[in-house]
Amino acid sequence: MTPPNNPFILADGKKPTCMEMLQVIIDGEASDEQQEYFKNHMDRCLPCFKSYDLDMAIKRLLKTKCCGGDAPTDLVDQIKVQISQNSAS
Amino acid sequence: MGLNTILDGYSLLFLLLMEEIVTRQNYSEKEKNEIFNNEFLPHINSMYNFGFRLTLDRDDAKDLVQDTYLKAYRFVESFQKGTNAKAWLFRILKNSFINDYRKKTKEPSKVDYQEVETYYNSEDVNRQITPDLRVESLKDMIGDEISNALNALDVDFRTVIILCDLEGFKYEEMAKILDIPIGTVRSRLHRARNLLKEKLSEYAKSMGYKNTEL
Ligand SMILES: [Zn+2]
Repeated sequence: MTPPNNPFILADGKKPTCMEMLQVIIDGEASDEQQEYFKNHMDRCLPCFKSYDLDMAIKRLLKTKCCGGDAPTDLVDQIKVQISQNSAS
Repeated sequence: MGLNTILDGYSLLFLLLMEEIVTRQNYSEKEKNEIFNNEFLPHINSMYNFGFRLTLDRDDAKDLVQDTYLKAYRFVESFQKGTNAKAWLFRILKNSFINDYRKKTKEPSKVDYQEVETYYNSEDVNRQITPDLRVESLKDMIGDEISNALNALDVDFRTVIILCDLEGFKYEEMAKILDIPIGTVRSRLHRARNLLKEKLSEYAKSMGYKNTEL
């Protein structure tokens, strides 16, 4: 049951699925209007309610566990040496 | 060497030259070095992480990053000061990976994009794929589980998750980095996340079994 003024409706008039809306929200691509709409939708939709927490938790986990490693300390120096050699020749 | 190989090898150069023709800047040597040091080098850790997640090898990642920075310096005049340097660098790295590294290792792309689009447009989309994966089970994943799950994804799926979730690029920036339409960014991301959840629920299950054994 989607009210006619769903701000997620695309230019082609296609009705977005829950997962499509959720993705836009999770990735911070939603407009204020879309956020407001989704907040109301989530109160009525258990799958969205559950998936929201899970998807946000996975996103946070990815960010904390899969980045933050430093490049090897000699990498910048090697690049700079290469560049000065290239421009000298 | 076939004509196709030669063409592919030069495609990055061609793209960069095209950009250069359109928006070629005139930088002095001093400006070039300033851009390189202040706008390019600060992204070295993100670049290295991207290289590593693509190649899954630390030496290859180093080569890829080095190669990317050399290209960035060589073509610095096609970079517009103040625009998104990180997206520009990521695009060069990704093109180098496809044109040089992937060709060398002959790793074919295994993603069937037709299947992805069909999947995304089907009724399956609203199905709860992994009802057994819960937020609580993620709390036990304090080791390398999530990293291993990400690395186990096919490279094209891995890439969209890296760009979006690790590096925080917007859909529009991802579309430019990957040279694909925004609709494809969305559908690939959606499929990638479902695959990642499948892997995570496998981990969750195996951890659950371990816990009941104790
Ligand atoms: Zn919903």
